[in-house]
This record gives sequence, structure tokens and C-alpha cells, in this order.
Amino acid sequence: MTDYTVSEIYIRKLRIARRRTLAIKIINVIILIILALAVILPILLPWFFVFKTRLEFSYSPWSLPTQIRWNNFQEAWVAIKIGQGLLNTLWVCMGAIAGTVPAAAMAGYIFARYQSKVTEVLFYAVLVGYFIPVHMVLIPLYQFTSRIGIVDTLPGLFLPMAAFGIPFWTIIYRSFFRGLPGELAEAARIDGAGHTGTFFRIMLPLANPATILAVLLVFIGAWSDYLLSLILINDPKLFTMQLRIAQFLNQYGTDHMPRYAAAAVIASAPTLLLYIFGHRWIIRGTLAGALKG
Amino acid sequence: MEKAAVGKVSQIRMRKEKPKKKARDWHSITFQALFLLPALAFLIIFMYYPIVETFRTSLYQTTGFGPARFIGLQNYARLFANEEFRTGFVNVLAWAFWSVVIQIPLAFYIAFTLVVYKTKITGFLRAVYYLASVMPSAITAMLGRFIFAPTFGVISSLATRLNWKWLGSIDFLGNPDIAFWSLFAMATWAYTGFSIVYFMANIEQIPMEIRESAQLDGANLWQYARYIAIPMVSYPIRIIAIISTVGSLKLFDLPWLITGGGPVYATTTLAIILYKQGFVNWQYGRAAAVGVIIFLLSLIFTVAQFSFQRKSGELD
Repeated sequence: MTDYTVSEIYIRKLRIARRRTLAIKIINVIILIILALAVILPILLPWFFVFKTRLEFSYSPWSLPTQIRWNNFQEAWVAIKIGQGLLNTLWVCMGAIAGTVPAAAMAGYIFARYQSKVTEVLFYAVLVGYFIPVHMVLIPLYQFTSRIGIVDTLPGLFLPMAAFGIPFWTIIYRSFFRGLPGELAEAARIDGAGHTGTFFRIMLPLANPATILAVLLVFIGAWSDYLLSLILINDPKLFTMQLRIAQFLNQYGTDHMPRYAAAAVIASAPTLLLYIFGHRWIIRGTLAGALKG
Repeated sequence: MEKAAVGKVSQIRMRKEKPKKKARDWHSITFQALFLLPALAFLIIFMYYPIVETFRTSLYQTTGFGPARFIGLQNYARLFANEEFRTGFVNVLAWAFWSVVIQIPLAFYIAFTLVVYKTKITGFLRAVYYLASVMPSAITAMLGRFIFAPTFGVISSLATRLNWKWLGSIDFLGNPDIAFWSLFAMATWAYTGFSIVYFMANIEQIPMEIRESAQLDGANLWQYARYIAIPMVSYPIRIIAIISTVGSLKLFDLPWLITGGGPVYATTTLAIILYKQGFVNWQYGRAAAVGVIIFLLSLIFTVAQFSFQRKSGELD
């Protein structure tokens, strides 16, 4: 008898607890969705304003546009001059990739496969570079690139950029090459491949996953850079996309909001497209970097 | 650095494979040198040499042109006597403090709930949260002004629409007391995504059995988070804390592009002062001194990271 009531109370308690868990779950999911909206709204909201005239905007900013007008886009496109900037940014990205990835892959390979006192010391020298903030060297970097005449050229921007990417990717490549079975390299050598052949024909293809991540993330890093470009590029013809956006911010205020919104749409579009198609890889790459590094 | 078990296995293998070799294999040494050359050349030219130069320049009074005068530590002394610098210093430390206190719990909450309530849209939500982290800072700044601008900004025009005068009268970027927090909100928007993704990956690695046995013992979610999840990912939390702190020391893009460090010095940072001293006032020596200070501060925090790491290693 008592047993029965105890278990009944227990079941009732369990039911209440379960209902409470469900309620907590719903509340939490709602909070999660609200926070996701908070992330995505600043990117979507400009679309509300872009089709309006200035007058229409000042009277009813939040109504639906009465008519689809494109002239804000035209004006913003002219003002922000992002076309040229996009091209320059792509050059900088290519240059940064070409500078960072091969150098890091080669160095990482040596540090992983040819361990000796000397390479160990050199590895620590590279490791130190990982902790150097680029801010620290801006002044000498500017002076030095002016002296050798590459300031205000795109290589003058992507070469230092590559230098600051190399430590991190060398670390990643090193741990990647260490994870590959050593027998493969040994077998290649028995088959008569030299050091160079072993690297290029056997080991490097096996490191493709690391290479894809490196290319992708170096690309994104160069794509987003602002500070280095600001200091090392002065010629408006060489402005990268981010410098163009910054220039727009300085020249045009938010008074003409529809045009400003159109510029924001234009400015964020390339990154947004990149992210929509590549987000899986981008997140995976960031994690691989973060978990190993 | 590497914690991967794979690395350890191959290390053992490699030791076995390497019998004591003949005196010296010059072929191999040349190969190693050639392969290390590009990376080391890059680092020496664009990193190590400039680092040495930064330290040296910070002891001189120089504009980069003409003769430089050795003045010892006077650049540092003048910086600390300067009100703008002191404000920037305090701002950066406050920024570091608040990003640890606000952004990390927020990121942990989001990551934890996303993992615990794994649904079909978990992956989608993760992608949405990370989106802001991919946005280049110039665009984040643009969106920040779009939201916080007076009169026509999103918040102000929404306030007008709703007739909320108290909200409409707030000057988010022009009021020295509020500008810091407007920027901080934008930075939270931009930088939390990485921590969320990182925490998620670490929380997902907690074995399912642990969660199940916690449930059997009657632990609710709060208790599970408090007594199991947080202690188990304490190392990643510390890592993120260090990343945010060092990131705060280097903060430049957002305040520079949204408020320019103003109003007055309310949102200025060390990096903004470096930029202004170096490329507006052409005081290279003083700018280099700011660079050294940024470096020393991040060094302190990085060393803290390593001592943390060693401690957690002992516990394991």
C-alpha cells in the first residue's frame, strides 16, 4: 500500500519535472533564436531602407517601400568605388596565400620530419613569431618598406601580411606532418625518391586538408585586413575593399540613410556570398586551427 | 602546443626509424636549409628586424626623417604623463575586463544550450552566430554606425516611430559615457561567434556517458552545466579569456572607424594612440614606445596562458 503511494508520488514528481524541463527548453530555444536574430538583423536591416528616397525615409523609415528604386545603389556604388577595391583585395589575397602557404608547408615539414637540435631552436624562433602582435612593428615596417621602395604597392602589403601568417601555419603544418605515418616517406626513399621528391610527390598531397584550410583562412584574413592596409597603402588606386569602405565612412555621413544603407548592402555582399557558400569549411577550418594551435 | 595523441605516436615511431646516422648528411642539410629559407627570410625581414627596430626607435626622438636624438626612456615617461594615453590604457583594460565578464558567459550559454538541445537547426544556428565573426571590421563599423547613428540610425528612427522619447534622446556615439558601450555592443556582436564555435566543439567532446549518468543521478541542466560542463571545458574557457584580453590590447579597427577614439578620449585605445602618434603627429619614437607597451602587456597575458596550461596539465 505504502509502496504504491510512494511510487505514485514519484511518478507525479517525474511528470512535473518533465513538464518543467520542457518549459525550460522552450524558453532557452526562444532566447537562442532571439540572439540569432540579433546577429543577423544588422546585416539584413539595410535592405529595409535601400529602395526609399531620402524624403520617404525621413517620414516613414519602417514602412515597406512603395516602389523599387535602384538609384541609391547607383549612387552608393559610385561613392564607395568598391569595384576596383575588390580587384585589389583579390590580388592581396592571392599574394598573401602565395607567400604564406608554401613557406609554411615547407618549414612545417622540416620541423616535423627532420628533428635535430638546430631545427628545434629554429622552431622556437618561429613559435615566438606567433605571439608578436602586428601592432608592435607598424612603425619600423612602414619605414622599412618605404626605404626599399615597396610601400604603396600591393606586394608591400601582402609580403608583411604573409610574414605574420607564417608562424601559425607552420605550427599547423608541423603537427599535420607529424600525424602522417613515417613509413610512407621511408618507402618513397627506398623507391629512390630524393628529399625533394618525397615532399612534393608523397607528403604534400597527403597534407591537402591542411593546405585547403590554410588557403581558405589566409584568404579570409587578407580579405578582412584593415590596419596593415591603412598604413602601407596610400594610393587610392591601390585601395583594398576595406579601405574603400573606410573611406566611404569618412566622406559620407549617415544623413543620407538610404544611400548609406545601399553602400552597406554592397559592402557586405561579397563577404556574405563567400560565407554562404563556404561556411562549413570556414567553421571547420577555424576549429582545426583553434583546437590544434 | 600540440595535444594530439597522433603526434605523440608518430614521434615514437620516428625515433625508432632514425638509427644513429653517419657523420653528416650534407645532402639532407642543404635540403633542410633550402626548405626553411623562405619562412625564415620572411620572418627575419618583416618581423624580427622590425621588432628590434621598434625597441630601438622607442628610445629616440625621431620623425623618421632627419637625425634621431637618443632620449632614453623619455618617450615612455611622456606617454604616461599624457592624459590621452592614460585614458586609452584604462579603456583597454576595462575593455579586456568586460569582454571576459560579459562575452565569455554569453558565448558559453549559447554554446552550451546549442549542444544540449541538439536539434535539426543547431548547425544552422551555429552558422548564423559565426557569420558576424567573418564580417571584416570595416563592415562591422559601417553596420555599427548604421545602427547607432543619431536621428537616422536604426535605433533612433525606431524610437521616433514608437514615440519613445527617452530612447530617441540617447546619443549612442556622441555621449562619452555611452559611446564605450555602443562600441562594446558592436564588438560583442563581432567577436562572440568564434568563442561560441570553439566552446561548442569542446562541449561536444564531453562523453555522452557522463551526461547520461548525471541525468540518472537527477542533475538538472543547471547543475550539469555548473558541476560538469564548466569544469570540463575550463581550459578552453581560459584560452578564450586570454584571446579576448590580448585582443582588447590590440583593439583598433572598430573604435577608429566608428568614433575615431572620441568623443574626446572616451573610446581611444592603445593602438589608436600608436596610429595617431606615428602617422598623424609623426612622432615615431613615441609611437614605437606604445608598440612596445602593447607587446609587453600581451607578453604578460601570454605567459599567464602558459602557466595556466602547465597547471591544468598537472591536474590531468
